[in-house]
Amino acid sequence: MTSIKHDPRIVITGIGAVSACGWTVNELHEGLLSGSSSITEPSRFDVSGQRTRVAGEVPPPPDSIVQKISEWETLSKSDQFAVAAAVEAVEQAGLSSGLSGAGLFFGGSTGGMFECEEYFGRLIGKREGRPAIRLQASQQINSPADAVARHLKLTGTVQTVSSACASGTLALGMALDELRSRQSEVVLAGGSDSLCLLTYSGFNSLRSVDNRPCRPFRADRQGLSIGEGAGVLVVETLDHALGRGAVPLAELLGAGASCDANHMTAPHPEGEGAAAAIAGAIADAGISADRIDFVNAHGTGTPQNDVSESRALHSVFGGRASALPVTSNKATFGHLLGSAGAIEAVTTILSMIHGVIHPMPGGGERDEQTELDIVVGAPRTISAGSVAVSSSFAFGGSNAAVIIGGWDEGSTE
Amino acid sequence: MGEADTKGEIKHLIIEALNLDGMTVDSIGEDDLLFEEGLGLDSVDALEIVVSLEKAYGVKIESEAANRESFKSVSTLAALVDQLRDSSQS
Repeated sequence: MTSIKHDPRIVITGIGAVSACGWTVNELHEGLLSGSSSITEPSRFDVSGQRTRVAGEVPPPPDSIVQKISEWETLSKSDQFAVAAAVEAVEQAGLSSGLSGAGLFFGGSTGGMFECEEYFGRLIGKREGRPAIRLQASQQINSPADAVARHLKLTGTVQTVSSACASGTLALGMALDELRSRQSEVVLAGGSDSLCLLTYSGFNSLRSVDNRPCRPFRADRQGLSIGEGAGVLVVETLDHALGRGAVPLAELLGAGASCDANHMTAPHPEGEGAAAAIAGAIADAGISADRIDFVNAHGTGTPQNDVSESRALHSVFGGRASALPVTSNKATFGHLLGSAGAIEAVTTILSMIHGVIHPMPGGGERDEQTELDIVVGAPRTISAGSVAVSSSFAFGGSNAAVIIGGWDEGSTE
Repeated sequence: MGEADTKGEIKHLIIEALNLDGMTVDSIGEDDLLFEEGLGLDSVDALEIVVSLEKAYGVKIESEAANRESFKSVSTLAALVDQLRDSSQS
């Protein structure tokens, strides 16, 4: 796929991910391909008093990762996810040394909130242990990005965007702008969030959480499943990548964003804002909507989102929408909130690399209101050079989408 | 209370406050460097030590007293605590 609209062209040369599937991109890919969900009863904190008891919790880290990161014990969970994913991404890109001066654009929504809750729980005697000051040291939303910058010595622009569940995708758009304007030749982009009571209880109170692993676009869905983890991408100009002998994994073709300006939590019922973000990303990529081969949907599994998103896709793709393959990774590892867009960009790139659209686990009939070709149970094959949209829609109405193209031998032409 | 007692107490406080699993009072030398290339403590640990010392000895450690020199080792911390206790009694 070639975007003729922009010079420089922007490519992705490294990806890293931490999720309920595991601490590496390979485990993420295998988890997605397995067609089974990694969403189970969480052990991080007591959920016995909650309406629902499921989440996509990251398993304990392997020693091999802990040993690589000397400051591990001083980091919050979301900082650990971010640094581990960033290290994996830069290793793949062949940039473990040589990122000095590079910037970082990051999404997140709760930073070290989990550790903060632990601190205050101990302070008032509701949890065991000393209320160590360290528990509060990483509470800022920008903490994961700063932890990555310190670890990799990134001395360029380091920015955190926090627009709820659109944050990770917005961060990718910021990286794209930075590189197109030639303010940088290589940056990192991504996001990280960890499970915490604030979001777990909050979504339960809103009754927007399913009591089973979420089932996006299915008729019997009852809500989302919260997850945690990080996704990090090394993004650079094509000439910079080729100049240092790197082989691109995929091309970041375009980004779009919008706001519903409508409701605190509900999406616009007709998906107008979502459609504007997707159409904007396609226009930014300089391609026609017909070139999109599949959709990595926001697909939360809430009754409202999935219908609204389906309407947005019909608005953008017209009659093609009902034949366009649509998947949602949230059925496998949950909704990563501020880092959802980052890890879903990683999975979209995995689709390009391996030539498959990952299936959604879980049975059940498709909701007739959605009128989409959802990928359930088994993966679908796609050809090299496919193009996909990955989208994220947030509470508050912020919408974002990116267009990602596969990379093959003909892509440099 | 003697100076040696204070040093032993401070070692115990540091181990407990910083949750230094596997360390004992005997494994911390009284003149060992506490930060960076020594025990590897950082500024958050320093804050935790300030809070623990203030609580244990009923002293107030002002910002100017919490400097690199007085937080260098268990010995310098003991000297600081003794000095603050003396001045509060006089």
